[in-house]
Amino acid sequence: MSVAVKKETGPTLIPFGPQHPVLPEPLHFDLLLEDEKVVGATPQLGYIHRGLELLCDKRDLADYVHVAERICGICSFMHGMGYCEAVERLFGVAVPDRARWLRTFWCELERIQSHLLWLGLAADALGFENLFMAAWRARELVVDVAEETAGGRVIFGSAIVGGVARDPDDETLRRCLAAMGPARDETLRLAEIMLRDATVVHRLARVGILSKEAAYRLGAVGPMLRASGHDYDVRRSGYAAYGEFDWNVIVEERGDCQARALVRLREIEESFAMLERIVARMPSGPVSVPVKGPPPPGESWMRVEQPRGEVLYYVRSNGTRQLQRFRVRTPTFANVPAMVEALKGASLADLPTIVLTIDPCISCTER
Amino acid sequence: MNEGYKLAGSGPMTMESIGPGDLLPRADALGKEGWRIVQILAVSLAEGVELSYAFGLAHELRILRFVAAPGSPVPSLTPVFPAAFLYENEIHDLFGVAIERIAVDWLGKTYDVAEPGRFDLMRLSLPSVEEGGR
Repeated sequence: MSVAVKKETGPTLIPFGPQHPVLPEPLHFDLLLEDEKVVGATPQLGYIHRGLELLCDKRDLADYVHVAERICGICSFMHGMGYCEAVERLFGVAVPDRARWLRTFWCELERIQSHLLWLGLAADALGFENLFMAAWRARELVVDVAEETAGGRVIFGSAIVGGVARDPDDETLRRCLAAMGPARDETLRLAEIMLRDATVVHRLARVGILSKEAAYRLGAVGPMLRASGHDYDVRRSGYAAYGEFDWNVIVEERGDCQARALVRLREIEESFAMLERIVARMPSGPVSVPVKGPPPPGESWMRVEQPRGEVLYYVRSNGTRQLQRFRVRTPTFANVPAMVEALKGASLADLPTIVLTIDPCISCTER
Repeated sequence: MNEGYKLAGSGPMTMESIGPGDLLPRADALGKEGWRIVQILAVSLAEGVELSYAFGLAHELRILRFVAAPGSPVPSLTPVFPAAFLYENEIHDLFGVAIERIAVDWLGKTYDVAEPGRFDLMRLSLPSVEEGGR
């Protein structure tokens, strides 16, 4: 005699994070699953909020650069520089040419080390330990150059209101370029592995697709937006020295994990090429101007392209040396809704890979 | 905007004061023109919380602004721009602005701040041992 057993079926709700082997920082999702397929995801942030914005009215605006740099341990220079550029626009101060070009040099250096850091983390998430170690070994050569030129490996400490605090001579910059040659060669070798290894391709291709329309509608920024076919990069607005030499915006069309990986790997190569052009055209002269007295009452909105995408700095002055308000909208903050969209329809096993190819920075996001 | 007040930016931008009731129709019109939400900003002022809705199209910014009076709720932008839910949850938790019908409402738990408004260290009290404190 056979007995028919009627199974109760329906979506299953399971938690993902905030502590998870693949997450370097805490992030939580309530995942709605049908079998192994993700049909919905609700994100939750808020585990490492530090209240850094609130410190702006307790510090002199020149000292606050030290706080701005510590919003993130990966994009520290760009946070410091973006804040400084916002304050300088409020004052109406033009920084010297050499300072603008040095800022551009350090921005691209930071982009390379951030993307190599991402490559290592992504490889680690895929279980590819050799690739992880090789990527971070190449990154060491880049952070060595950061230390030699800016003074710090993680927190550069070289952005100041009115210019930059360090002035590496041209011979040092040329020597540093040469010292990074092996890192550039190694990156090409690692990129080939990342994009051609059958196991890696199986995990990345046609996984976590974000359509062109959804990427734009949901406010995606940076490589996540460009990997879905949008030719948009804030550096085109011409801040620092970006408007004064040729470079390419890297765009891919497929919108999957592999496209996001390819955008970042090509951006590393493009940034190495940009560093050569920057050093070749580095102007001479002073690297800072004094910025004294209180700023006028007013506000300033500054957009910068970080490794993870567009970041927006807002500063507001009430006419004193302590700012009334500072706010930073980070790229991961903008990318969370698009990340949720990319998860829909994916297999549960692919979720860590999708999250890693978005390269989230929760420390930045929660400030 | 007061005379002598400076507005600076890294690209072209315009700012316009609106009423809270105008927010959704204006945002809907901007969305149809291809603008997307870039940021919702809150600033504490004596008369309330100033909310600035920044929309971006390429490198241009368009900002709609109004002051939310204490105790008066404002509409959520999520029916037009679903991505606004993060900003609105944060503003609710850190500035105490009541925002109606957020698509993904974290109900005051974004940053697990004990009370809406600014964190006040001097008003913080630790739970007793009986209540589970250690």
